[in-house]
Amino acid sequence: MGEIKICNSAGRDAVVTTESVYSPLKVRWVDEQGRQASNVRVLKGPIDRDVAALQEQFGDLSKVAQALIDDDPEIDTESTGRILRETSRVYVDEKQEIVHKVQFWEVVRNPDGSERERRTRKMLDPNLAGELPLRWSGVFVKREEACRKFVFSGKVQLHHINGLTYDFLYGMAKELEENDSLVLLGAGAKSNQPLILRRGSTPYRGFLEGRTDGEKYCLILHFSNLELKTPEITDEEAKS
Amino acid sequence: MAKPLVIQFHGKEFPFTLTKIDRTKLYGYKEAEVLDEDDRRCELATLADDGKTVVGRGGIGLGYISADGEWCDKSKLKPVNIEGEEITPVASSFAAPVVLDETTTFDEYLSHSIRLVYSLSSEENASEFTSVLKDGTIYKFPYSFRGGLEADAAFVLMGEDENIYMAVGKPTQVEFIGLQQVAAFFDEEGKADETDLMDFDMV
Repeated sequence: MGEIKICNSAGRDAVVTTESVYSPLKVRWVDEQGRQASNVRVLKGPIDRDVAALQEQFGDLSKVAQALIDDDPEIDTESTGRILRETSRVYVDEKQEIVHKVQFWEVVRNPDGSERERRTRKMLDPNLAGELPLRWSGVFVKREEACRKFVFSGKVQLHHINGLTYDFLYGMAKELEENDSLVLLGAGAKSNQPLILRRGSTPYRGFLEGRTDGEKYCLILHFSNLELKTPEITDEEAKS
Repeated sequence: MAKPLVIQFHGKEFPFTLTKIDRTKLYGYKEAEVLDEDDRRCELATLADDGKTVVGRGGIGLGYISADGEWCDKSKLKPVNIEGEEITPVASSFAAPVVLDETTTFDEYLSHSIRLVYSLSSEENASEFTSVLKDGTIYKFPYSFRGGLEADAAFVLMGEDENIYMAVGKPTQVEFIGLQQVAAFFDEEGKADETDLMDFDMV
């Protein structure tokens, strides 16, 4: 459960909660006695036993293959097969040693792979429950048009936390339902920024959809970072 | 050439070629680059819980253990659903023609999270099929690329650009909520103890 600071069409804001609508795993694996088995991560081999390390030790790949047949150098009897639980992400250099001070860069590429920009990594802060509320941008998209124009890869449902916010959210859901539209929500001072759910995560456009059923409501915030359109075919792709 | 997805519509079969649509082909993409102090490229690795074993790419596998912590051979395990009933695997959607006879609503479509989108193209004349989609009809069918335990929900619809798309996703648990269903916002701390309520040491 998260928090969201959101405005209604009149510009009044409130803090409410967001609930995940993700469907939990429906498949379980059971043994012959019907007891559930669990997934574990197992260490196959440490970095000093991987192909690159073995190539350095034995030479080319054919020599590595022969060494695998003769002596199993890829197996570290102390660690292979160990169950991994609490692990950390680290960066290693060419010598496969841990690097403690690193610089993060990002290379932005065009669809054809050519470099557009090279910059230090930007870690965008989450903005769903920041100082500034998410506002209605004024851009309404009919329900049918939204389905045929955007790909909604994720969603959360908005929940009230008290009687006042029930009225607040119910009103929004009713208004959107009567319009048969989704409204584009914007973040930031000008309400034109995409939504960031977690620090450094993918930015999404947020579309708010409302439904009502008697005294009940359903207010869904859909996330999209993809339009439903076919990319242009380049000359090279057309030739192939 | 990839095997086409054969759609059976009103008794006729239309073979469609699937082309995956993703952000990289439409907008470009970002590559992360991590450098050390001497501007040499670094690679991501995993540090095991002993604090010294470093594991590189491909160095970790997945396994199954029983409730007793014993190693399980996956071939001896069987998949079951939440009720404990054995799951019958589904076949690949490319193995036989897919009969399109179930339409769905925009609400139903919007209640799914879409994880894959394909553009569908056919060299055969599918005008009978496209004219129905043009009216805003969305067709739904269970889809599995390779076959497996569970089928995803696939939706066939026409985009604003008049191309045919297949969106593949999973249903979500959206529900209508009433006034009494207040989010458990203040419940996390648990009910206050009476001694806490009478605690005047609250400077």
